[in-house]
Amino acid sequence: MKRRVIAAGCIALTLTLTATACGDDGDGGSGDKADGKGKTLTVWIMEGTNPDPRPFFKEVGAAFEKKTGAKIKVEYQQWATAQKKFTTAIEGGEDQVPDVAEVGTTWVPQFAETGALVDVTDDVKKSGLTNDLVEGLKDAGTLDGKQYGMPWYAGVRSIVYRKDIFEKHKLKAPTNWKELQETAKTLKEKEPGLVPFPVAGGAEMFATAFVWGAGGELATKQGDVWKSEINSPKSIEGLEYYTGLATKDKVSPAKVNTWTEKEVGDAWNKGEIAMSVSGNWTPKAIVEANPKLKGKLAAIPIPGQTGGMSKSFLGGSYLSAFNTDKKDLAWELVKLMTTGEFAAKWAKQTNYFPGQNSELKKIEDQKDPLVEPFAKQMIEAGATVPKTKAYGEIQGSQVIPGMVQSILTGKSSVKEAADKAAKDMDEMFAKDK
Amino acid sequence: MKEMLVGDGSKAGSSGSSGLSPAAPTDNGEAARRRKRLVNLTRPWVLLAPSLIVLAGLLLWPLIQVGKLSLQDYKVKFGGGEATFTGFDHYKDLLKSDLLWKTVLPNTVFFAIACVGLTVALGTAVALLLNRLGPTWKLICSVSILAAWAMPAVTGTYVWIWLFSPEDGMVSQMADSMGLIDAETTNWFTERLPFYGIATLNVVHHGFPFVAITVLAGLLTIPKELYEAGELDGANAWQRFWKITVPTIKPVFLVVTILSTIWDFKVFTQVFLMPGGSGSNPDVYNLGVYSYIEAFAKNDYGAGAAAAVLLTLLLLVITIVYIRTLFRQGEEDL
Repeated sequence: MKRRVIAAGCIALTLTLTATACGDDGDGGSGDKADGKGKTLTVWIMEGTNPDPRPFFKEVGAAFEKKTGAKIKVEYQQWATAQKKFTTAIEGGEDQVPDVAEVGTTWVPQFAETGALVDVTDDVKKSGLTNDLVEGLKDAGTLDGKQYGMPWYAGVRSIVYRKDIFEKHKLKAPTNWKELQETAKTLKEKEPGLVPFPVAGGAEMFATAFVWGAGGELATKQGDVWKSEINSPKSIEGLEYYTGLATKDKVSPAKVNTWTEKEVGDAWNKGEIAMSVSGNWTPKAIVEANPKLKGKLAAIPIPGQTGGMSKSFLGGSYLSAFNTDKKDLAWELVKLMTTGEFAAKWAKQTNYFPGQNSELKKIEDQKDPLVEPFAKQMIEAGATVPKTKAYGEIQGSQVIPGMVQSILTGKSSVKEAADKAAKDMDEMFAKDK
Repeated sequence: MKEMLVGDGSKAGSSGSSGLSPAAPTDNGEAARRRKRLVNLTRPWVLLAPSLIVLAGLLLWPLIQVGKLSLQDYKVKFGGGEATFTGFDHYKDLLKSDLLWKTVLPNTVFFAIACVGLTVALGTAVALLLNRLGPTWKLICSVSILAAWAMPAVTGTYVWIWLFSPEDGMVSQMADSMGLIDAETTNWFTERLPFYGIATLNVVHHGFPFVAITVLAGLLTIPKELYEAGELDGANAWQRFWKITVPTIKPVFLVVTILSTIWDFKVFTQVFLMPGGSGSNPDVYNLGVYSYIEAFAKNDYGAGAAAAVLLTLLLLVITIVYIRTLFRQGEEDL
């Protein structure tokens, strides 16, 4: 009730003042000392990133109350359903959206377009954080020069493999695609009980690494219009190599055709995988689920076609403030959680990477063999998907997994499947223009 | 049905009123009679009103909204979306698409036909079995059937996925050891036919208990004498079933068939949760999944609504046909 009165007040305020006036100076020039006594911020956080986030948010809550006098109320959301929940809340407006929320980077374009997210470009500049943000991550949440939140944590996929098995057969970690192929073929021969290298049909970000690795792109922006590039000769070369591992070299059995990253993870936990594309958050989780694998895992960046590295999707979460009447307080909380002590602590507890170069450097310097390759991949060979609402829809309707699966099952050739995917993507790009 | 109820009511009422005022056909009596008639006419509707209002609120209103949405392009905006009226564009696109005619509709229709047929056949067979069992076995069988019924669709689906999970699932391993398939190169979920085969097993397993219990209730109403007479006339079990059981409880069969048809046409969970069922394999789309993907994955709410309306119309046609058959049946019996 009280919320609604306040909300009504703010709407009235926004109507009388101009939009810019409401943004910064409208609330009494509070700057970095927003007075939040008696106020409570609603915060949506994704469940599952941190095995036990409650103690962390207790600390954040205490620190935030000490700083501003306001309390936070954390509501945990499920990844699988959150996007729809956000959409519904955005439709409902100020009364229903949270004040601060964890927003997946690929969702930012969609939410920002509706006008629900606060543009914090100036706040970031004022706090002197601009230059410390990991470039790929900052870019993922910036549209038309406006940054909609702060990068909170991020992850990247590289290659994880069984050190013990590689040593047993005197195999070396592959450094280019040819070696990757040869290694997988040897593994198939020597370790028939294991999946040598899963070509998981449902794992979009496995396939994209090879598209990027061959020099292809998912889509490029030409002027104002996005145009799919998934059927360009380079992209097709990457797809041919990746799917060929299953269709020609048979290093990935048929059951993997319908696997998503979850099933790949389950198979790792059961000790059924010899080598696979895998997220930086996975080695620790695998060892926790299967202690027998302790000390037997190793990681390398995804090798490039002829050496170097293939780019891999840099995914992560933003902490974004929503357009409610508590914007200033919300920014304080975003800043508190995405910088310094709390950012580092969260990254450590979740096995993800923080969104700031300075914090990331600290992690890289620890020289953990299961962390360093990922950090290297993240800093030197991270890539993002097209920054448009349409790409969210392309992901939602599983265009890339659909394409890969139809190649793996032999229903279409690489070229046919890529042409169809390109057509589907272009339709969605066109519709959202 | 409504007319029948109302008609019966007014008939009973008018006979009652004539009994109440046998003599004195004055003006006063005329007015009273008219009022009585009015009351008799309105009373059923007044009594029905609460449930009609609830139904209108819960079913009719959303139905109208979906219909409206299907004529619009809808865009989510902070604090309330924008709708642009597009007329029948979404329907035109839908009806012109190859995907609908070659994949979505055939999948929906043939899957529903197979499921309904198998559900009713299996349900009836189980009901006949239950009818012949002694009390102890009847109890044991009923409980295990009810367990299948009580299993949530999500849980049931995962069990079937596990059983058929390629290479590792029990069925896959059995088929492999019998030499029927090569487990390493077989994935049941990527092809349309095996995919829907598994979905059919799942839906039939989940749906037959209802049919069994309902048909059993019907069986219990059939007088034993009919069977004795049939036996005396030399009818064998097969003939007794088709000549006595089926005609006697035909309305029960009609009801379970209608309900199963409606349920099996709009199957969503069981398909969506299967590997590839949530959109990555367009070969296995059915109307429910297609509508969901259009609306909630592609954010094309209008197109999703149009597909939902199409599904509703399809169900409406089927239901009308069934209800007409049901009533014709009823009239013949009278």
